[in-house]
Amino acid sequence: MNENWAAENLKTIRTLMERSAVYRRALAPVTMLTGIVGLAAGGVGWMTQCDSPRRFILFWFAVAGASLAGSFVVVRRQAIRDKESFWSPPTRRVAQAMLPCLYIGLIAGLMIAFVADEEDLTWALVPIWMALYGAALHAAGFFMPRGIKLLGWLFIIGGTMLMIGLALQGSAPEFRYTHVAMGAVFGGLHLAYGIYLHFTEKKNAS
Amino acid sequence: MNPEPFLQLDRVIHEKGRLAIMSSLAATPELAFTELRDSLEMTDGNVTAHIRTLQEAGYVSVTKSFQNNRSLTTCALTAKGRKSFADYIALLEQIVQQTKKP
Repeated sequence: MNENWAAENLKTIRTLMERSAVYRRALAPVTMLTGIVGLAAGGVGWMTQCDSPRRFILFWFAVAGASLAGSFVVVRRQAIRDKESFWSPPTRRVAQAMLPCLYIGLIAGLMIAFVADEEDLTWALVPIWMALYGAALHAAGFFMPRGIKLLGWLFIIGGTMLMIGLALQGSAPEFRYTHVAMGAVFGGLHLAYGIYLHFTEKKNAS
Repeated sequence: MNPEPFLQLDRVIHEKGRLAIMSSLAATPELAFTELRDSLEMTDGNVTAHIRTLQEAGYVSVTKSFQNNRSLTTCALTAKGRKSFADYIALLEQIVQQTKKP
């Protein structure tokens, strides 16, 4: 009897258990959609001069809501096509992992929008949102393909770089550039990752 | 080497395809039939046959429902299935330990 077969079986079991616990829906359509919405929102925010802190925050909450709704529709269609439940255990785990960071971002935004309402604080919120979103993606990455953790790190690094840049500059740049920063980082990174996934993601990912 | 743990291995679980199905189901409360089939790269017929054997042994439960007018089949381990799978793993670990001994 081959002495390694039991160890090999255990290894196979571990691999299969890990694989079945991972979220495997195709992410390219979701990330590309989010990227396009983010870039478009950055442009709209810039052009319409949506330039009070409260309006800026509510505008980007609306953008996040629209992206979330769009992603929901795309993922639900995939689930229906594959005859699977939408709110599957891996989906639940991903949502639970992302929730704490997104919750902090939401509360911080609401506090600045309705309590502080200051431009400098709103500028500070932009890198904090980026870093928190990155942390949310990184946490979700434990239940998703490995690339999500890297995307999370890119947001965290982007956010911290912007934080350092703002601190070194002393005074905050013109307020409407907040839209450019949000659109470029949220829209640009999602779209770039979506395009990358479009060409690399397994065609049979479900 | 003591052959006893090997002889105690559950033959229903020990088959390669069924072991893969049991392993996948052990990590999650339930899985759709299509999800199982795709992740294990098995045919519909293969998964159906193995699931039937596991169902007959009382290890797996199958639920059929409708979602958006389309049928949805989900599989899950039963309590008996979870216990048998845990016992199977414990035996494998015992065999691994035995082979490590000089």
